[in-house]
Amino acid sequence: MTAISSESIHIGTEDAPVPMWRQRTKIFMANKLAIASCVYVIVLTLACFLVPHLHPTNQTNQAVAFGTPQNTAPSSHHWLGTDSSGYDVLGRIFFGGEYSLILGFLAGFITVVVGTLYGMISGFLGGVVDTAMMRLIDAFLSIPYLFLLITLITIFGRSTTFLIAIIGFTGWWGNARIIRGDALLIRNLDYAKASTSMGANKWHVIRRHVFPNSISNIVTVATFSVADAILFLSALGFLGLGIQTPETDWGTMLQSGTSQIQNGYWWEVFPVAVVFILIVVSINYIGDALRDAFEVRLLER
Amino acid sequence: MQSAFVLAIIIVVTFTLPYFQPHGIYAPAYTALGSHINALNVHTWAQQHGLTQSYFVRLLKYADQLIFHFNLGHSFKQSLSVNSIIALYVPRTVWLALSALIFTTVIAIPLGIFQASRRNTVIDYAATGTAFVLYAMPAFLLCILVIDAFGFHWPHLPISPPSGVAPWAIFTDPKAFILPVGCLTLLSVAGLSRFMRGTVLEVLVQDYVRTARAKGCSSRRVLWRHAFRNALGPIVTILGLSIPGLFGGALIIEDVFNYSGLGVQTINAAVTLDVPTVLGITVLVAVFTLLGNLMADVALGLIDPRIRIEGAR
Repeated sequence: MTAISSESIHIGTEDAPVPMWRQRTKIFMANKLAIASCVYVIVLTLACFLVPHLHPTNQTNQAVAFGTPQNTAPSSHHWLGTDSSGYDVLGRIFFGGEYSLILGFLAGFITVVVGTLYGMISGFLGGVVDTAMMRLIDAFLSIPYLFLLITLITIFGRSTTFLIAIIGFTGWWGNARIIRGDALLIRNLDYAKASTSMGANKWHVIRRHVFPNSISNIVTVATFSVADAILFLSALGFLGLGIQTPETDWGTMLQSGTSQIQNGYWWEVFPVAVVFILIVVSINYIGDALRDAFEVRLLER
Repeated sequence: MQSAFVLAIIIVVTFTLPYFQPHGIYAPAYTALGSHINALNVHTWAQQHGLTQSYFVRLLKYADQLIFHFNLGHSFKQSLSVNSIIALYVPRTVWLALSALIFTTVIAIPLGIFQASRRNTVIDYAATGTAFVLYAMPAFLLCILVIDAFGFHWPHLPISPPSGVAPWAIFTDPKAFILPVGCLTLLSVAGLSRFMRGTVLEVLVQDYVRTARAKGCSSRRVLWRHAFRNALGPIVTILGLSIPGLFGGALIIEDVFNYSGLGVQTINAAVTLDVPTVLGITVLVAVFTLLGNLMADVALGLIDPRIRIEGAR
């Protein structure tokens, strides 16, 4: 009996069914751009955290920096020249990148955590609570984001911690909306309803059913959030509200570089611009590829 | 009804925020008085600006003035009421944002559809790549590169719109607005065309599209009669939602192109702690957004008969 049934299973399919996560990895790996993006993000992150220690260049001591020639073109000594304060540009890209990346990842992480919690609770509870919670989101979404950031930064100051907190705790509204839609959908699916009817409490259903089933959207949202946080930080840097000197971030670097562009000092703008645009594009590509990988319709059935 | 609720939240939140700054709502007094700072002067200043009353009295007064008299109070810094500041600068920003919005819609929607119909061709990849780079590029960087290109390397276009506050400048001197409006348009096209491409792609795999093709509709007819009309709904919603983003983008554009509109006023007001002005502008933009959403809902009803029927019941 057992022998027959096991044999009959093997008639249709040659191999055992491929586990879902492996299929997803396969879809992700098939996307060459996403792989390249992953490599870029990892290499750049490692470089930003290691290069300033392995090959230290002066990036903080203004007195020493003013001793070195300013705005010099790339040479064997300064591979990407020096900026208007005499800092080595290549070293500064990594040095500023450290702040941009830490801020982007932490702030993005906060927006995802807060947005997920809020969206899950709102979508799962439904009814009046959901309506009220979503109208609150509507209210926040109709305040222009940059206006709000500027106001908050003038109020709370702009230490690194506050910048992370401000971007993190104001960027989650869109995320909450997406996750809420998911929670609402899953709540009404049969398995979640069955669980509720068998007496599971709400928290259990959220934890065991809603959260695991919306994880794909959460991960995708997370990648876009990190990219957005990095972008917003750069806008703040341009408005002069970014990280304060002598520390720097890519936005602040771009701002000071672009003020020199009319003098033809291209090395102060384009290298950091390319690094910056590539990281935001890469993170977005990774997000896209993740979304494809999680898309059930693309899985082999 | 729900819009009123949203507006109430916005007013309360923006009104409450200044209480959290160092020195609370008296903070502007410290910058205004400069070296004449002492407890008595601060108190006099606060009294002059009606800041000595309790939080709830002030909130009620503010809401009352705003709702029943459309009065947003008086600027701390400029000898103008917030209403007159808004009246001066809003038209300039609105024309900038509105013309960019129109160009964005006109360019992004056909582009998105075109990309979706030519999916995974060289043109699609090129357009997607460009959109990605534009999306990832900080707004100010694009503007400055454009200014550099047109101001120094190919000086045939004026790089800054006329100063002054004439609201109709965009019509009297349209050439000066090509660059700022163009930049703002490029920045929003990047996001919208990508969204349009995704939406059309989703529609194209639906059963009714396949049925239409099977019946013998030409692919062009399917694209415009079936896919386009069904993809319009999400696009209209997104356009309604994009208004705050447009104002945010205008803020950067105004700053770079040296165009004194609402955005520049907000930055100045925020930096100088001119609280009533910041509050007034925030409330105003929120109202614009709510109106935009409302219009999007109405338009959605016009586009999609299913929604209209539901609304009628």
